[in-house]
Formats: sequence, C-alpha cells, structure tokens
Amino acid sequence: MKIFRLKKDFEKFSLNIDSLDMSEQKIYGIIGPNGCGKTTAMKLMAGIMQPDSGVVDSGGLTARDITMVFRKPYLMHESVLKNLLYPLKIRGITPDMQYIEHLLELSGLQALRDTYALTLSGGEQQKLALMRAVVFSPKLVFIDEGFSNMDIESIAVFEEFILKMQAKSKLTWVITSHQLSTIRRLCEHVIFMHAGEVKAQGNTEEILSSPQLPELKQYLQFV
Amino acid sequence: MFNFLSTETLGIIALSLRMTLLSTAIASIIGVPFGLWLDKAHFPGKRFIVLFNRSLMAAPPVVVGLVAYLLLMRSGPLGFMGRLFTFEGMVFAQVLLLTPIISGLVYNAAHRSAANIRAFAKTMGATKMQTQILLIRELSNDIYFAAVTGFGRAMSEVGAVMVVGGNIRYHTRVMTTTISMLRNRGEIDVAIFLGVVLLIVAFAVQLIAGFLRKREHRTDENF
Repeated sequence: MKIFRLKKDFEKFSLNIDSLDMSEQKIYGIIGPNGCGKTTAMKLMAGIMQPDSGVVDSGGLTARDITMVFRKPYLMHESVLKNLLYPLKIRGITPDMQYIEHLLELSGLQALRDTYALTLSGGEQQKLALMRAVVFSPKLVFIDEGFSNMDIESIAVFEEFILKMQAKSKLTWVITSHQLSTIRRLCEHVIFMHAGEVKAQGNTEEILSSPQLPELKQYLQFV
Repeated sequence: MFNFLSTETLGIIALSLRMTLLSTAIASIIGVPFGLWLDKAHFPGKRFIVLFNRSLMAAPPVVVGLVAYLLLMRSGPLGFMGRLFTFEGMVFAQVLLLTPIISGLVYNAAHRSAANIRAFAKTMGATKMQTQILLIRELSNDIYFAAVTGFGRAMSEVGAVMVVGGNIRYHTRVMTTTISMLRNRGEIDVAIFLGVVLLIVAFAVQLIAGFLRKREHRTDENF
C-alpha cells in the first residue's frame, strides 16, 4: 500500500500524510496520542472515508479484500452466529462450520452463539468483531484499538491467533493500540503519528527502544 | 338512530380501518425511502428541508385537510380527478398528513445510525444493494415504529377527513367523524361504543410500538 500526499481537513483537525509505504504481508502498528489522526488515517486507507486530496494505492486490492475493526464495533441486530457468518453470506460462500466452531471456541463465544449480539459485553463484542473480520480471509485488515476492552488473557489469545494466522495466510495487518506490549509482540514496523502527521516510522524495536523525537519520547513516557 | 353492531356501524369501523391501513401503507412507501434518502443526500437547502419536514410533522390535521381540500376541489389543481368527498380523497389527505411524520421519524433514526451501518457494510465488502438491504434490516425496528406511529395518528385523526370526506353516510363516514357527529346529536352511547373500539385499536397499536421499544431498549444492555 502506498500513500501519497494524503490530506483530510475537519473543522478542528487536519490530517496530512506526505508519503507512506507499507509492504504486503506484514503487520504494521500505528501509535500516537488520542486525536493524532490514527483512526482517520486508517479509515482513509481502508476506503471508508474519502480524502480531500492525495492518493491511496492499495495495490490492486478491492473493497472486498479489505476490512476494518473499530474500537466500538458495529454489531447487527442478530445473533452472534449470524453476525459471524454475515461476510460469508454476502459473498455467497458456504461456511465451513468446523472453522466457525473453532473461531467461536477461540473467542470464548461458543456458548453465546445464539445470543443476541448487542447484549454481549464490550470485550465480547470486540472478539466477535475481530472474528467476523477475518472469517472471510481478507487480504488487508485494519484493527483500530480492537483489543481495548478485552481482558489480558483474551488479548494474549488474540495476539497468538493473529500471529498464527499471519504465519499461515500472510495477510497485511495495520493495528492501532495504546498497549505497547501488543505492538511489540505483533508488529514488525511501527508508525508514530502526532498532530495529524507521520512523525516517525521504522522497525518496531528501534522506534520504541531509542526514540529520537521529543513528541515520541513524551508519548512513550506515559503509555 | 344508531344501532350497536348494525351493518352501518360495522361498515364505519371497516371503512376506518381500510382508510387507515391504506394511507399508512402509501405514506410508508413514500416516507421511508424519502427519510433514508434525506439522511444520505447532501445538497444546498437540506437543513431547510429537514426543518420544513419537522414542521409538517406537527401540522394541525385540519390545516392539512384544508390543503387537501384546496387541491381536490373542482377548481383546484387536482379537481379534474373528482375525488373530493370520496374515500380516495380522505386517503389522499391522510397521506399528506402521515408522510412527513413517517419520513421525519425514519430520517431521525437513519441520522442516528445509518452512517455506522454504511461504514460497517463497507468494512464487510458489501455491495451497494447489500448495503441498502442491511440498512433497511438494521433500521427495521425504527421503520415499524414510524409506521405504527403513523397508523395511530391516522386512526385517531378527525380534522382532515372531516374537511375532505364530509362525513357522508355510507360513503365517507369513519369512526372519528361519527363520534364527533353523534356527540353533537346527543347520541352518546354509540359514540362511546365507537370510542371504545377506537381505544382498543389504539391500544393494540401501542402494544406493537411498546414491543418494538422494548426490543430496542434491550440493545443497550451490557453485562
């Protein structure tokens, strides 16, 4: 994915990304303080929001190959299972129920499969949204603070799941999180954003272990 | 003299139900897509249209009836159709009354959640048609509620049908206009009977609305 002179203006905020190059089949992390533009950048990259100017080249991927999970995910007024099967249904794919059961078991939602999805707790909703996002094997997955409501054990399970899936299917992931442990464990590359701009990017360990920018130093001090 | 459960009384009840159902159906067919479109569309003067629609939601029925009368009268723009003091004329007046109510309620519901539903559909890779189907399915509670509210309003409305229908015996006499007429005549017993029938219908309608509200409330639960 290549981004070139991306610009999006809001009343009180402006996003400007001069250039960003992300290789396929890698896991990227985007970090930065609240309101720095992480979610906006992701929405623009995922094609959910249109930029005022600039180019997002997703390397031939179509909307059907890209998905995004929000911190507060949208769940349909349906059961857990129907939510999980929705992306397959709209693609006319017959679900592999063994795999579906595996996903439900992994996310601890097996007993809740027939439960009305909107009655799930915040963490359970995030687990369901993450499973639903990967059930149709997309090629590019954006996760915007998708673990923020989960307990520590569940975060570890999902991190493991992403790493296993990555080893097997080689997707491209872009993840935002304020939990640096998650970023360190999952992401090979990290992008630091501040005030609507990309201020630093590179190898995760290099960026996080020896920050050069004062803004990054300050951010890492409080995370 | 009026008889309880006479052919005439039953005819009045049947005509009222037929008129209300038909006008609610037509107003829903116009109002639901208009409400959804109004939320999605961006054009100069949109705020004025929304404000105007909101004003029409509270328009006095007798004024709407007068407008319908002016349109349907012999020298009016629709006078050539000869529908003044007919069943169709009353349905026309009620459609004028109900459409802004239904479109306004649907617009409010869509304004609250349609953007999230569309964004979610995009993240799932849904086509335009699949997005529209999802939108209607996800807003179905609100759409039912808007239709039920319109039905209740149409059922209890007297001003517009009196002006346009003229309360003609065996022709345009409905429950509300009959109650009004019987009260003037002092035939309170039949007026009370029709009033009770009206209340039962209103109660049934509120039961449906209550059920919908209860289902909606359940969506906020979080354990």
